[in-house]
Amino acid sequence: MPILSVENISKNYGTIQALKNVSFEVPKGSVFGILGPNGSGKTTLLGIVMDVLKATSGNYKLFDETPSQKHRQQIGTLLETPNFYHYLSAVNNLKIAAGIKEKGLADIDSVLEKVNLLQRKHSKFSTFSLGMKQRLAIASCLLGDPEVMVFDEPTNGLDPVGIAEIRELIKRLHKEGKTIIMASHLLDEVEKVCTHVAVLQKGKLITHGHVDEILVNEDIAEISASDNTQLLSIIEHYPGATSVKKHDQHIELNFASGTTSLESINRFCFEKGIILNHMRLRKKSLEAKFFELTKNN
Amino acid sequence: MFNLIKIEWLKLKNYRTFWVLGILYLVSVFAAGYIGYSVEERTLEQSKELRMIAGTSFSFPDIWQSVSWLSSLLVFMPALLIITFVTNEFVFKTHRQNIIDGWSRSQFINVKIVLVVILSIIATLMVAITSVLIGFLGSRQFSWEGSMYILYFFILALSYNSVALLFSVLLKRTGLALGLFLAYAYFLENLIGNLLDWKIDAKPGAYLPLNSTDNLIPFPFVKNVTKQILRDPNYTLLLSFAAVYLFCYLFFSVKKFKTDDL
Repeated sequence: MPILSVENISKNYGTIQALKNVSFEVPKGSVFGILGPNGSGKTTLLGIVMDVLKATSGNYKLFDETPSQKHRQQIGTLLETPNFYHYLSAVNNLKIAAGIKEKGLADIDSVLEKVNLLQRKHSKFSTFSLGMKQRLAIASCLLGDPEVMVFDEPTNGLDPVGIAEIRELIKRLHKEGKTIIMASHLLDEVEKVCTHVAVLQKGKLITHGHVDEILVNEDIAEISASDNTQLLSIIEHYPGATSVKKHDQHIELNFASGTTSLESINRFCFEKGIILNHMRLRKKSLEAKFFELTKNN
Repeated sequence: MFNLIKIEWLKLKNYRTFWVLGILYLVSVFAAGYIGYSVEERTLEQSKELRMIAGTSFSFPDIWQSVSWLSSLLVFMPALLIITFVTNEFVFKTHRQNIIDGWSRSQFINVKIVLVVILSIIATLMVAITSVLIGFLGSRQFSWEGSMYILYFFILALSYNSVALLFSVLLKRTGLALGLFLAYAYFLENLIGNLLDWKIDAKPGAYLPLNSTDNLIPFPFVKNVTKQILRDPNYTLLLSFAAVYLFCYLFFSVKKFKTDDL
């Protein structure tokens, strides 16, 4: 049973198309990353699923049923920014959230503990730093121990320690069997914690699936010789290389991750009578991968 | 619904503006009644002729109308409270969070309407209590005659408070909603009303949205003089207009909140 299924959702703001026919499914128990640069429609999509925005067309299902408030009560959601009553304390804000979710108040101390805010439970929200506000929002998501959580840019405003803590928390929740939907523009964040990913760009779903399939890592071997044109002609059909490209100063060979042997390349060239004057192995950066995914659209 | 009201109470009870404006209103209603009573007593002590011409306004049965009319000048206070409280939700984006956490859009807006009704009832109760207390100061004989004005005051308060809700939902920003509400209620509508009365023989100015409830409670003082100038209001017509307007305020508040992007 998919936790969330999105079918052909489009959303227009005036003449701007924020989402174009987006469809995908979030399987139960996955950590589902929605990846995209700023303004790609991630928050709009989650806003529609949470009924704070109205889709122009298309529909969606939660827990394989027609969505209703009852479903939203079962999902802990942090959308865009932490939204709380500025004049109320952390604990009073959580009382309101727990009341709306129809969960008991017994959880409040323990969720505050989990995000290290217990000592500040009686402080007003307006006195919190950005990172504390974000942590309070995550605490609110954890109320009632929901099976599904939606985090929109969960590490926004957090310091490196806070970021690591949130990632650990997400991994722990995943181990407990929870389903997590997470929007992020940070590629390495998605790579580190997600099992599935959907890539959005300018409102279009470019690709989606298992994170290992989408964000495949590649090795790149950089080589050059005194005559690169000659080198290209012999190396063009080097076995195992997924692609070979000539650049200004060197030639790049792509390999599936972990299958590159500079030694073999060197021997191969030497046996063909070419002596290399430069060899370097590097990992394809995720950013480059991301640009590659999004450049054709 | 009880649960929804309990949650609204959590939001309200620690909101200082609620207590400040609420208590200010309650005190002002009583103070206005009491000051009116004292001024009248002191003035009328001076001459019997004046008492003959002016009549007493702060004893039964006229007390109901006098206190209601004076309080109608203070009714902007609960309306301001509603505007700050409701626009807070938009400013803090908690209107989104409430929906995200599991309220339906109807629940969110319906409980605000219930709040408007409850505040209007409390505002009216204070007017009734003040009328009775001051009425006993000015006279020995209690009388229900004229207590109809308490009901009219309730309709007036409900109407102002509902307009406040509508302005809040439409404008979303505190300053803007406050400013436009005050400008409309205390200036623009009177201006439009006077223009209409001047141009159109049927004098429709009295039937504009807020005027239609203002006019339910006519000027209560020196009645012996005013009744020669002023006609009795047409209550059937005023109440019909007030009902239609009230329906519109609430209908459009609900419609806006249920269909808009939040």
